[in-house]
Amino acid sequence: MSTFKEHKTIADRAASDRSRHRQKIEKAIKESIRDVVAEESIIGQSGKKKIRIPVKGIKEHRFVFGANEKNKRVGSAQGKDISKGQQIGHRKRQQQSEGDKPGDKPGEEMYEVEMSLEELAGYLFSDLELPELEKKNFKFTTQEKMKRKGKRPYGIRPRLSKKETIKQKIRRKKAAIKAGSYDPESGERFTFHESDFRYKHIAPVVKENTAAVVFFVMDVSGSMTKSKKFLARSFFFLLYQFLNHKYSSIDVVFVSHTADAQEVNEEQFFTKVPNGGTLVSTGLIKVEEIIEKRYHPNNWNIYTFYCGDGDNWAIDNKEALNAFRRLKEVNQVMCYSEVGANELGYGSLFGDGSGEKKLWDWTKLAEDKNFKRIKIKKNSDIWPAFKKLFGGRE
Amino acid sequence: MSEWSMDELQDWDRKICVLGEALSLDWYPIDYEICDYKEMIGHMAYTGLPTHYRHWSYGKSFDRIQTEYNLGMSGLPYEMIINSDPSISYLMTENPMSTHILTMAHCVGHSDFFKNNRMFAETGADTVIDRFKAASKRVKKYMEDPNIGVVAVEKILDACHSIRFQVPRTPGIKRRSHKDLKKYYTRLLQKDKTGFFDGFNINKIPLEPDQNILRFIADNDRSLAEWERDLIRIVEQESLYFIPQAFTKIMNEGWACMIHEKIVQALKLPDKYHISFMRLHNQVVRPHLGQVNPYHLGYKIFKYIEKHHGFDECLRVREIHNDETFIKRYLNQELCQELNLFSFSFDKRASVNRVAEISDDLGWQTVRDDLIKNVGLNSIPVVLVKELQKDGTLVLEHQHDGRDIELSEANKVFEFINDLWSGDVKFTTIIEEETWEF
Repeated sequence: MSTFKEHKTIADRAASDRSRHRQKIEKAIKESIRDVVAEESIIGQSGKKKIRIPVKGIKEHRFVFGANEKNKRVGSAQGKDISKGQQIGHRKRQQQSEGDKPGDKPGEEMYEVEMSLEELAGYLFSDLELPELEKKNFKFTTQEKMKRKGKRPYGIRPRLSKKETIKQKIRRKKAAIKAGSYDPESGERFTFHESDFRYKHIAPVVKENTAAVVFFVMDVSGSMTKSKKFLARSFFFLLYQFLNHKYSSIDVVFVSHTADAQEVNEEQFFTKVPNGGTLVSTGLIKVEEIIEKRYHPNNWNIYTFYCGDGDNWAIDNKEALNAFRRLKEVNQVMCYSEVGANELGYGSLFGDGSGEKKLWDWTKLAEDKNFKRIKIKKNSDIWPAFKKLFGGRE
Repeated sequence: MSEWSMDELQDWDRKICVLGEALSLDWYPIDYEICDYKEMIGHMAYTGLPTHYRHWSYGKSFDRIQTEYNLGMSGLPYEMIINSDPSISYLMTENPMSTHILTMAHCVGHSDFFKNNRMFAETGADTVIDRFKAASKRVKKYMEDPNIGVVAVEKILDACHSIRFQVPRTPGIKRRSHKDLKKYYTRLLQKDKTGFFDGFNINKIPLEPDQNILRFIADNDRSLAEWERDLIRIVEQESLYFIPQAFTKIMNEGWACMIHEKIVQALKLPDKYHISFMRLHNQVVRPHLGQVNPYHLGYKIFKYIEKHHGFDECLRVREIHNDETFIKRYLNQELCQELNLFSFSFDKRASVNRVAEISDDLGWQTVRDDLIKNVGLNSIPVVLVKELQKDGTLVLEHQHDGRDIELSEANKVFEFINDLWSGDVKFTTIIEEETWEF
């Protein structure tokens, strides 16, 4: 004899383990994104284009035999005729590409997540603990404006609100009739009283500017090789996405400089054939000019990112430092970044010898919470550098 | 609403039990729990046990089973039964009566197998439910302990799970402690006059290569916290409990199929049930193209034994054999050919599977032996603890049996073992005739 009982529905026993598994997938997505941010196919894409991101499944590993000739398995052929050496089943796509990518091993579970650049940016930056960030580093410029703020019983004559005052009088009149202290039939005039007067009130309101302008300044002189420029471009891309994610509207200004500076468009910025020497200060002074002309610091959140390889003419270093110092005062965040591995001695061509301080050392003098310095030597440095800049979790 | 009632279930159960006894079966009493499909998925994801410790991997399988079920990619099992005394089995509300009848008869077969097969002698069926319940409570306690937390517990469990199948392949044989082994070898050394044990180092650890990596780590790593050691033991104990089932999958299912067929035939079902029963039965015991369906293979072999040696022989076989010996002893050329078994392997260069051997006069034994290499734990590489060096290095060795292991996976497992073991870990194997070490 067996027993039977109806199982009472208990809370979904797997709920917490499922959510834990999903957390792990989310994390894997984030990590995969980090690997792809520096990839060419994404950098330079604009707008809503969907990007496919391969995400490795959360797999449990154990010792297994490899798929090869010696590892034989057995099956039933049912009624079919088979012979030795015969090919069975279909060619497996996964196995074909084995060896191309580490993630393509047979049996590896792959999720492919499709997302737009915006979503991608969302994922990326969610890791930066934005709420915290907003308080600390993410300032908006503010503006005081006078705004109407209700009515009040005192004020100056020009702000008298006739409509509100009459309403008060009518109210008082009705009350008086009700109380019997005033008879409307009597023909007596019901006069204004001082307590009827209402004045418009205006008060100052602090308004945040949600418009931002980003200055990308890059050294395009001869020492900036293609690979260095690519690093710079990747970094700028991330910055742009991040700020775009944060502000309602965003202007981008590209300034390229050699021994003198000019404002260029995006395409020119990244493709301009490099030539000439390097005077970093010229680029920065150009930014100052543009700010003065078009982007008043009271109305705009200004970000300036300078990117170069650190080779500056020695005579200009002092001047550049001063320009950095002036600029950081009007910037929310300003950044000096050096890209590429520094080839030793290259800078000394222009300097006075190995004892000479490089621009990297000079800029240290201006470093503070508004002015950051970062070095990007290779692709994988981009994300950590970015996090350093905006104070995310390591 | 279902088209059956509890009373009906009890009626049929009574008849099934009478018929089971008539077959001289001897099974644990069965507790049937009626549950809905969602609970069934839950039971499946958590290895069937009514209580099981938490781990994200079970959440993962829950999601997978549910997705596949919702997409219609796979059905849910009709039967799920736990090797316990009493046995616990689940009946899904959504299933029709005919399915329940088959399931209940099938469960009698399983429970009888659990109770009688010698592989299960040490599984402690009477206490298993309580043991798992206690273990799951302890895991919960560690997860909720502010000094430990989910992440730390997961790290240990993740690592343990990667080597959960690296346990002894001798169910029913008790583990000998280091102390006992030392006594044993000391006596051997004293008695030895042949010189066989000359140069034998009585102080080495372990004295015999240890297949139970989890247990070895728990016993020998002194820097483990007590809760970590407990987690390792919990995983090890669960593995030991499940190993006999892995060892007898083909027999166990074949036996249950044969029993449910016998019982249901004797039940003389009304037509409306009988047709759906036959449809379901044929679906369960049908061969799967290119695979081995354990239900089908086991059922065929048991039928063959019954035909040639009688049912009493079947009863004896279900007691003393496991899949490996069962196949070796009873899967003959006739059966191999009837089932049209063949072996195949992956041709790396052409990136396709190729037939390696077929069940003709010359090849059937090879096919049978290849099958044996894939039953039970034989499809999992044997990795042994070879030595614990003085400096705390744990030396692991893969026992190469002709089949190379998958290096990328081994590498991951290696990292997991490093998470568990406080000292260095060394691992050696052979890949394409060359020794690999990492």
